[in-house]
Amino acid sequence: MPSDIQPSDIQPSDIQPSDIQPSDTRSSDTRSGNTPGAGPIESVGRASGWALMVSELTVLFRRRRTWAMLLALAAVPVLIAVAVRLTSSPVAPGRGPPFLDRVTQNGLFVAITAMVVCIPLFLPLTIGVVAGDTIAGEAGLGTLRYLLVAPAGRVRLLVVKYAGAAVFCLAATLTIVVSGAAIGAALFPVGPVTLLSGDTIGVGESVLRSLLIAGYVTVSMLGLSAIGLFISTLTDVPVGAMAATIVVSVVSQVLDALPQLDWLHPWLFSHYWLDFADLLRQPIEWSSFGTNALLQGGYLLVFGALAYGRFVTKDILS
Amino acid sequence: MGRNLRTWLPVAVVPAVVIIGALTVPLQAGAAVDLPDKTPAQVLAMIGDSSVQALSGTIEQTSELGLPELPSAGTGSGSNAGTGASASASSALELLTGSHTARIYVDGPDNLRVQIMDRLAERDLVRNATDLWMYNSKDNTALHVALPDPVGMTGPSTDSAQQTPAQQTPAQLAERMLAAIDPSTAVSVGKDTRVAGRTAYELRLTPRTDETLVGEVSIAVDSETGMPLRVEVLARGQSAPAFSLAYSTLSLTAPDADRFEFTPPAGASVEEKALPDASALHEKMSDAAMPGIEDGKMPTTKAEAKALAEQFKSGGGMLPGVSVAGTGWASVVELPAGTVSADVLADPMLAQVTESVDGGRLLSSALINVLVTDDGRVFAGSVPSARLQAAAVGG
Repeated sequence: MPSDIQPSDIQPSDIQPSDIQPSDTRSSDTRSGNTPGAGPIESVGRASGWALMVSELTVLFRRRRTWAMLLALAAVPVLIAVAVRLTSSPVAPGRGPPFLDRVTQNGLFVAITAMVVCIPLFLPLTIGVVAGDTIAGEAGLGTLRYLLVAPAGRVRLLVVKYAGAAVFCLAATLTIVVSGAAIGAALFPVGPVTLLSGDTIGVGESVLRSLLIAGYVTVSMLGLSAIGLFISTLTDVPVGAMAATIVVSVVSQVLDALPQLDWLHPWLFSHYWLDFADLLRQPIEWSSFGTNALLQGGYLLVFGALAYGRFVTKDILS
Repeated sequence: MGRNLRTWLPVAVVPAVVIIGALTVPLQAGAAVDLPDKTPAQVLAMIGDSSVQALSGTIEQTSELGLPELPSAGTGSGSNAGTGASASASSALELLTGSHTARIYVDGPDNLRVQIMDRLAERDLVRNATDLWMYNSKDNTALHVALPDPVGMTGPSTDSAQQTPAQQTPAQLAERMLAAIDPSTAVSVGKDTRVAGRTAYELRLTPRTDETLVGEVSIAVDSETGMPLRVEVLARGQSAPAFSLAYSTLSLTAPDADRFEFTPPAGASVEEKALPDASALHEKMSDAAMPGIEDGKMPTTKAEAKALAEQFKSGGGMLPGVSVAGTGWASVVELPAGTVSADVLADPMLAQVTESVDGGRLLSSALINVLVTDDGRVFAGSVPSARLQAAAVGG
């Protein structure tokens, strides 16, 4: 290990070819600015943890790939809204994706329709890419060992990487909701929203419910992110980890569709993904939110522990 | 190696704890309950005395009838009945055979709301003093029935309004089951249990005959209020209930008054429907159009109760010539020739859900067998298919 390299001066992820931009120096500035002033070891650890988090997020959201994925997600509601706007014949109720027929009456439904469309494939796809890239991406670029030279340690790196993936989940769902609401408001009238129960709520409350849905879907994706993190510790090939994570999400949904496996369904991390619609009932049915959070928490614990075991005992060669 | 072991130990412990927790927490909900002993008669009396006026809760229904999966919509092709009637029949069938979760709100005899929570959709039924609304979010349609003035309203109209399958609360289903208690049935009190977080007595009804498919009917009765909390029907030789209707959450406080208000949302297509005249319905019922049902007498066997319910379901249209053979659990209901027309018999849908047997086609499920003979007669009963075939040949 080259001892003359100061860990705090190196921002390993910055070395990625696609990311070399003048402003990249800023992230390492933040980090070195935080560390020196701290006296006790404890506060050094905490400060460097936050600095690591900040630099991880900076790298993640400065990446062109991340922006491309968020743009693709934002394009889904736009596509739906434009298609509905341009067709002359009204959408018949019960045809196409759920809620599609409501779009012409109320633009706020664009976001919800887009969410239903995105949840089975597009959203797991982007999250698979981000979560699968966490450890394997650094290993593939040969930067993992430089990251581990820092006093941060492997556990902290794992936590920071997972937190980064979780933040991306939130960003992805918020992208769909915000872009859906924006294009819906631009192309269609906005007014009171009809809930599944037939009751109507005002615009203010419907915005609140949209944000709740974003929260629900974010929580829904935490289990998949944990699985992606674990798979990412298994390999040095980021593309393999991404593909495997996406395959896992597809397999889980296929199993969920087989009636012969009834007993297994409540244990599948994708089982409650579409139950965000429970937030559109009057009164809100919170039980699925709770069950879903509990299930995702279980997946997070199990696969987090597995990732920890694998990553701590792993021989880092790259 | 030692370092690896020390690292992997907590790693193995975490999933183990999670899995053990996931498996044992639901079991604790069913932990042993010990209530003061009661006789079956006392438990029955508790049900009779039950005076729960207001509640809100969640009902879970599961059916393991062993029926082939039915398409939930668009089954009206090829039948001579109006598509609307056939669609509502298939929707009623779907309600009985599928698994559902519904929220129910009750406040007094006049206010009721049932919300059947489908995936990404919901079917609502709202009843208040003056209106009955049904709303389906899937196709955004609402059905409105103006109820007669509650002051002048007589009993039968409320009864007929409550016979919609969507409205079967455990209480109503239990009453129908209890109507079947006669010497043909052994009634006992089983182990005390816990349903929806409340302690409950379990009333077990076991048919005394071997000729029926029903193995046991179990009714969990709330120890505090006497309200039925769960109804399970077990098929003979099955350990899991073939049909189960149970509260999963229950609160006995009066729900928000808003629950019983309904205005159809903008853009929904609203259909107005007149209520069938209550008094005419009542007269028709007393007409003895159906042998086996005497004037004003409550149905005494399960099959009779079922047949009566069928009549209510079909909107009060009486079918002449319905007869019941056998007694108690082993009753066989016969509908006369021509009930099922030739083109329905030729419908591929029917061929898909039934199997060909001697003399007709058989729809077989864990609890009920239905035989449609080639000449259009229908035999139904909670009996093995051989008995239906024997009845068809004998009749």
